[in-house]
Amino acid sequence: MTAIQFRNVSKHYRDKLVLSDLSFQIEHGERVSVQGPSGSGKTTMLRLLAGFLVPDGGEVWIGDKKVAAEGKILVAPEHRKLGMVFQDLSLWPHLTVYQNLDFVLKAQSLSAKDRRARIEEALERVRLEDFMSAYPTRLSGGQQQRVAIARALVARPVALLMDEPLSNLDDDLKDELCEHLLNLHAQLGFTLVYVTHSKDEARRIGTRAILLRDGKEVLYEMDHEGKGKSR
Amino acid sequence: MLVSSVWVGGGLSARNYVEVFGNPQIWVLFRNSITLAALTTALAGITGIILGVLIIKTDMPVGTLLAAAFSVPLLFPPYILAVGWFEILGRGGMLSRWTNAAIGEMTSGWLFGFPGAVVVLSSAFLPIVLLLTITYLRGVNPTLEEAARLSYGPFAVLRQITIPLIRPGIVLALTLVFLLTMGEYGAPAFLRLNVFPVASFTQSSALYNFDAATAAATPLIGVVLAGLFVEQKALGQRSYSFRWARPQMSQLIPLGHMRVPVVIGAMMLALLFVGVPIAGVLWRGSSAAALSEAIERGASSAVHSVLYATAAATLVTGVGFFLAYLIQRRALIGWRWLDALGLFLFTLPGTIIGIGLISLWNRPSTNWIYATPGLLVFGFMAQYTAIGTRMVAAGMSQLSPSLEEAAEVAGVKWFRRVFGILTPLLRPATVAAWVATFVFCLRDVSLPLLLAPPGQDTLTARTMTLMANGSPELIAALCLLSVTLALGPVTVAGIAWRFARRLA
Repeated sequence: MTAIQFRNVSKHYRDKLVLSDLSFQIEHGERVSVQGPSGSGKTTMLRLLAGFLVPDGGEVWIGDKKVAAEGKILVAPEHRKLGMVFQDLSLWPHLTVYQNLDFVLKAQSLSAKDRRARIEEALERVRLEDFMSAYPTRLSGGQQQRVAIARALVARPVALLMDEPLSNLDDDLKDELCEHLLNLHAQLGFTLVYVTHSKDEARRIGTRAILLRDGKEVLYEMDHEGKGKSR
Repeated sequence: MLVSSVWVGGGLSARNYVEVFGNPQIWVLFRNSITLAALTTALAGITGIILGVLIIKTDMPVGTLLAAAFSVPLLFPPYILAVGWFEILGRGGMLSRWTNAAIGEMTSGWLFGFPGAVVVLSSAFLPIVLLLTITYLRGVNPTLEEAARLSYGPFAVLRQITIPLIRPGIVLALTLVFLLTMGEYGAPAFLRLNVFPVASFTQSSALYNFDAATAAATPLIGVVLAGLFVEQKALGQRSYSFRWARPQMSQLIPLGHMRVPVVIGAMMLALLFVGVPIAGVLWRGSSAAALSEAIERGASSAVHSVLYATAAATLVTGVGFFLAYLIQRRALIGWRWLDALGLFLFTLPGTIIGIGLISLWNRPSTNWIYATPGLLVFGFMAQYTAIGTRMVAAGMSQLSPSLEEAAEVAGVKWFRRVFGILTPLLRPATVAAWVATFVFCLRDVSLPLLLAPPGQDTLTARTMTLMANGSPELIAALCLLSVTLALGPVTVAGIAWRFARRLA
């Protein structure tokens, strides 16, 4: 079943064409890496999917819903049921770890008891149950990364979007978090769209890769040796 | 100053304080000052924050133009707004002439009291709230809001994420407005509202009782310290992640069908807060006879104003640059105290600084500075060095220390590093600091009234002095001269800025 679909999507920033006629689809539960050099339109693609940008042309689908088309947002970001981990993580600095997760869940009309149970479960999964009352700025880089993942997953989204989330970490921590992410995926089975400029990360996280160059999808599939097959 | 207030007849004595605090009138003054400051802070705060949010976070049109319009009162002393409103609502004002004398009586009563003073001071200090709100909103990392947008609508994100994130800026703005209102002399004096600075000024200038003036000013020092303490407590040690957002990255909240009514409402408010009082001054003071008399009686004072403001702005910017370096690079033990001292002096009423400087320098051995405009420039420096320091420090915080370190590693000496690397990169912040200090010195009332030597007063001091016996036309024309004097350099700086940006 298709989870995400781009149909001939294009996007300009002023005079610059960032995405041109981009089409692809991602199935439910798939792990897809979006790879490409700086300025190739990876982040723009993710922001179009999240609903932070409006496509100039084409359509964006999530599940069986058309969420954006031809210069219009049809479904607002808060109704797309997506989780996202940003490059700079964007943990709210004025809220504790618990409050960061609770803030997301409060949008879902759950009882306080249910919210607490969900938060405890999410933080246990990322092994941060002892840091509930800590503020994000007091945590290490790796811990912050795990809070961001827990926050993105706590509302049980249909897809998790990740925008170069490991780019600022050292290699050992990257390895550990990649492993952790794959474990979470195996447990929860969410659809994962993982944007990165690193071939290694793309190979490790994605079962498929979309390689963007100059805003066009040029490579569609990638095997475990990292070799691609043009579409 | 504090020493002389407790040193009576060659010995320690609390007589001045007993006299001042034993007088029930002092508590009336205290209540009046606190009430005025609280009401002004509430009105300017609510209006400024709402306007800042509308301008930066929504798709309301002409936002930049509205921000500029609301900021105009920051360029001249608040008493000009009071004069403008007097020409509209006073007994012989425009409204009274257009309707009848009874309405003039009523509106005059309203103006010469708390409601009038609150409106005048709110429009005068609203730019502080507005500009700080805008600055802090621009500094919020847009992805913090986007992360919340995945769960909530734009207004909920604004309320629950954006506003809490800019709380440090809001607390700073409200504290500044409260303290500046507490210390404001010109507008309350014109509107005959009995508040602390007016009483303190009367003790020193009219009664020449400096010790009593100091004692009368002491509660104000306490309020300033309390205000700064509250600000520091509210901010704590939090370091929120701010960055300058690229415009296309920030999402604007669509106002939908409310877009037109909201912009019309904002324009009406700008008209009320800025347009109406300026129109009042223009109406009364723009006749050829009035302008000619104003130029004749105020031209030399205007020249003094520009000269003193130029000297003070140059010194403040220079000193501020090096203080900013010490604070920003943590190069001095106690840099936090240095920063706090600057802010303390900025928020301290000018009357207190003036009385303090007179107490310190009014001796035969220091007459070489006391009898010259140097003392006034010194007063400006004491009051406004925080502007230079904070503005340059803000620019410096955007520069990576590695820029200087790269030169240091290459063996470049400190002096050349500062003037060869930092100074050119900080030119915009330095120029902005100079212009801001120039304008603040130009609009100052209390310090020139107390410190300018006879015959060498400034335009603001001359206008305030002539208010006692000058014709309304002359006063209004002098106010127009002040407005022109302030708008001139700011307009030139604005045009030069745009030109430089285009060239870049």
